[in-house]
Amino acid sequence: MSVLTLRLAGPLQSWGANARFSRRTTESAPTKSAVIGMLAAAVGVERGDDTRLAPIAALRYGVRIDQPGIRMRDFHTAHHAVTGKAMPLSERFYLADAVFVAALEGDYTLLADLHSALRNPVYPPFLGRRSCPPSRPVELDLHREGTLEQALRSTPWQASSWHKRQHRPGADIHLTVLREARPEEVDAANTLRDQPLSFAPEHRRHALRSVISDSVRFTHSLERRAVARHDPFDAFDAAEEKSA
Amino acid sequence: MTRFYLDVHALQTFPPSNINRDDTGAPKTAVYGGVPRARVSSQAWKKAVRDYFREENLLDASELGVRTKRIVESVAERIAALAPAIAGVEALQAADETLKATGLKTEVRKRKGDTTKAGESEPVPEAKYLVFLSARQLDGLARLAVEGAGDIKTFFKHKQNRDRAREIADTHHSVDIALFGRMVADAADINVDAAVQVAHAISVHRVENESDYYTAVDDRNTEEETGAGMIGTVDFNSATFYRYAAVGVHQLAENLGQGLRDGEPASSPVRRAVEAFVHGFVASLPTGKINTFGHHTFPDAVIVKLRTTRPISFVAAFEDPIRGDQGGHVHEACDRLAEFVPEIERAYGDDGTTLTWVLRVGANTNRLADTGEEAGTLVDLVAAVGKAVAERLEKPA
Repeated sequence: MSVLTLRLAGPLQSWGANARFSRRTTESAPTKSAVIGMLAAAVGVERGDDTRLAPIAALRYGVRIDQPGIRMRDFHTAHHAVTGKAMPLSERFYLADAVFVAALEGDYTLLADLHSALRNPVYPPFLGRRSCPPSRPVELDLHREGTLEQALRSTPWQASSWHKRQHRPGADIHLTVLREARPEEVDAANTLRDQPLSFAPEHRRHALRSVISDSVRFTHSLERRAVARHDPFDAFDAAEEKSA
Repeated sequence: MTRFYLDVHALQTFPPSNINRDDTGAPKTAVYGGVPRARVSSQAWKKAVRDYFREENLLDASELGVRTKRIVESVAERIAALAPAIAGVEALQAADETLKATGLKTEVRKRKGDTTKAGESEPVPEAKYLVFLSARQLDGLARLAVEGAGDIKTFFKHKQNRDRAREIADTHHSVDIALFGRMVADAADINVDAAVQVAHAISVHRVENESDYYTAVDDRNTEEETGAGMIGTVDFNSATFYRYAAVGVHQLAENLGQGLRDGEPASSPVRRAVEAFVHGFVASLPTGKINTFGHHTFPDAVIVKLRTTRPISFVAAFEDPIRGDQGGHVHEACDRLAEFVPEIERAYGDDGTTLTWVLRVGANTNRLADTGEEAGTLVDLVAAVGKAVAERLEKPA
């Protein structure tokens, strides 16, 4: 098996699994549906082309939470074009300041196509919502040999340096991994309705998918900053932000 | 068709202002790089761009769309203009049936008390949601309605006439629909995927909202209490924003279709749309509390890139917040970009096929001078980008 890894980082992300009507919530990690949708869009699969979608949706999916971010609520108003009256308000939730590593396991040729499509996308990638572009290109690596679990163990911790600095050098870091269950694990898995069957705008369909919550361990080695800087108030800032 | 993207980056400073409020009236915020930032939502700025198109006459009215629930009235007005014999209730009914034939749902909103007073017109059907149709689509639907006006219900019983109605609603999109998309829940097949991504603008530095306590004096109240006639608070902040948007030019071309006017090159609508977008995105301003704060500013620096690879946001340059300890944020923000842009382009870009333009103001932005071809004015920048887009579109793939 081969594995494609992606780095999903940006100031704002939003990954809805059952977001409907005027309350658009987000899961705490990218949904399979959104990531498959992003890859399908990159290779130019049109909405409603379920035949071309199927092999991409069949890839095995897992995601690692490298930097969980903060849940944020946004209030959205719209106004009537003629009367100027306010239309129904909607709430949109985002994850601010989060970083994820997503991995897809499957056939090498397909993954290689997806990998190159991300560099030359028909429809550009976004992090769950069009207004959330990634802060760096999303493609991370293409492993010709390996499994999802191996890739998520071996990919270096992608958190931002400010986030890493909050951890003591030498400390153990545990990152949550949410991955699709293997057949023998299905009994122990949770389910999430984010297995895409069709993105046809008139009838989007999603199946249930089994998800195993796991973790990987890193030993944190401190990055040296390019310029040594000392501000005694940093410690207070960090403490304050943690408590906020 | 050749795939290419345009990305637009801008640094813009606002004095104390409250251009985009949340439900408590405070300016919107986000956390990035572990610190709070000022934020302007993407939808607020897209609205500003659309308004700018109209107010500044950047585009002909025929190239713009109308987003309204009162879509039946809009079509009925056009029917009455085309065929003065059909007017009033008849025009409204013809318009209603034609819109229903496209798959849109309309309903008659009951008025308070539901009594029609003498002289007051009958309630008019409205769409249940905001519908975004271009001027050409509205005209086309009106023409179709006139054609079937004799017996409009029977007319739309024929499948080929319903198909024509859908076809009209699905072609000749206005420039703003092609750029920002259209979503209709009940008639998903006439949805249009936006060719533009506008990111939420965020400040390049840490921002905490502040609150202004104000009092207003009652000019005529001299005898009684001499204190304030009213008091209140207004929240505000002041920030230098990083703003980013990306246009899928190939997708825009697909949404817009061929030239709208006879004899113009096929690339013309796309060129006009791209020029209008770059101009509108750079110069438009969300107007929240503009009379309170007068935040009329323009970007200090704009970078535009036309590339064959995927668009790249430079927001990561500001993940580590700018401290501004030398006073102001623009100088340091430009220095950051001057370092970050060549680095990220080296790693992920495609130097050979990427064109870059820079528009900048003041000595704070000096370090960006070598980032790309310098444009002297916004008009020059827009023209240069438009020309390059047209050339690339016409080049055989």
